[in-house]
Amino acid sequence: MKNLLATAALCLGVIAPAFGANYVIDPTHTFVIYEIGHFGTSTNRGRFDKKEGTVQFDRAAKTGKVEISFDLSAISTGVAPLDKHLQGADFFDTAKFPSAKFVGDKFVFNGDKVTEVVGNLTLLGKTAPVTLKASNFNCYMNPMIKREVCGGDFETTLKRSLWGMGWGLNMGVPDDVRLLIQVEAIKQ
Amino acid sequence: MKLLACLLALCTAGLARAEPAVYLIDAEHSFVYFEVLHFGTSTLRGRFGALDGHVELDRAAGRGVVSLRIATAAVDTGMPAFDARLRQGDLLATEAHPQAYFVARNFSFDGPKVTAVRGELTLRGTSQALELRALRFGCHTHPLLQREVCGGDFEGELKRGDFGASFGMPFVANRVRLLVQVEGIRR
Repeated sequence: MKNLLATAALCLGVIAPAFGANYVIDPTHTFVIYEIGHFGTSTNRGRFDKKEGTVQFDRAAKTGKVEISFDLSAISTGVAPLDKHLQGADFFDTAKFPSAKFVGDKFVFNGDKVTEVVGNLTLLGKTAPVTLKASNFNCYMNPMIKREVCGGDFETTLKRSLWGMGWGLNMGVPDDVRLLIQVEAIKQ
Repeated sequence: MKLLACLLALCTAGLARAEPAVYLIDAEHSFVYFEVLHFGTSTLRGRFGALDGHVELDRAAGRGVVSLRIATAAVDTGMPAFDARLRQGDLLATEAHPQAYFVARNFSFDGPKVTAVRGELTLRGTSQALELRALRFGCHTHPLLQREVCGGDFEGELKRGDFGASFGMPFVANRVRLLVQVEGIRR
């Protein structure tokens, strides 16, 4: 019996770090908001509303992988003509490139909290590295769905020209775009 | 001559005070995003706007007045079901209170730049003091309209419970951060 318990403990101990747990992105608590300066005066913001993705996450082994894609036709700024311009060839060119994808496969931890996710963003058919920095990270038991949920707030600032999005640079529209990312994922 | 110069200066100062520049809120660049912490884990955000209203600025005299109206039912989180929940009586109560208002007459300046605006926010029919601090402030000439545009980014904080919008606490925090983008086009 002791032996069996020991074996079981060993197996669990080995299996859990090796496989971690699978999480599915909760679309109701996962959004990306971009921020870009407007004539040095105020900040324009827009939000990407349609997304799906998965996370594998292993707190014991301090590893993880996230794959999330955004349907770029669902951009929302609150200004309909601007949404249309952003979807056009000057910016996201959604007819040719309907989605953007982030794959993060290096999770940096401080204790059991994720502090950074390093990965690649594919946008307009080009792939370039991006590091997301966490300003919040936590796991909790959601009382409604009775499952563990992990998530947080991440941000990064990227240069849109790296993905070939250069419209307006010669007119003073900034290259730097800050992303504010809310993410929660539900344990499967 | 000295007296004339003095009188002129006085008159100019008087005129500046008498006729502050009036800016009409630019609906394409004036929104409020709110941020509230969800289960101590991630930040829920939603958008109100476009804002409607006007700002009077007398930068020489260091004075200003702002009057904004916010249609509460137009709240937009990117999730229609959540928007509908927010409109209910225990949160925004949009049927009983379709408008929120921000009115402020207490402006702080650093030279020509607005640094803070203190006034009153009326939400769900309840008025509370609200300070909005400028993260940036600037003016530029609108390239198409050839008019002066002034605006900036402001942040403020409120406790939604103070306005009676207390559903979901404490899982969804009481403290709400406001991020305000505002631009006004000179009339």
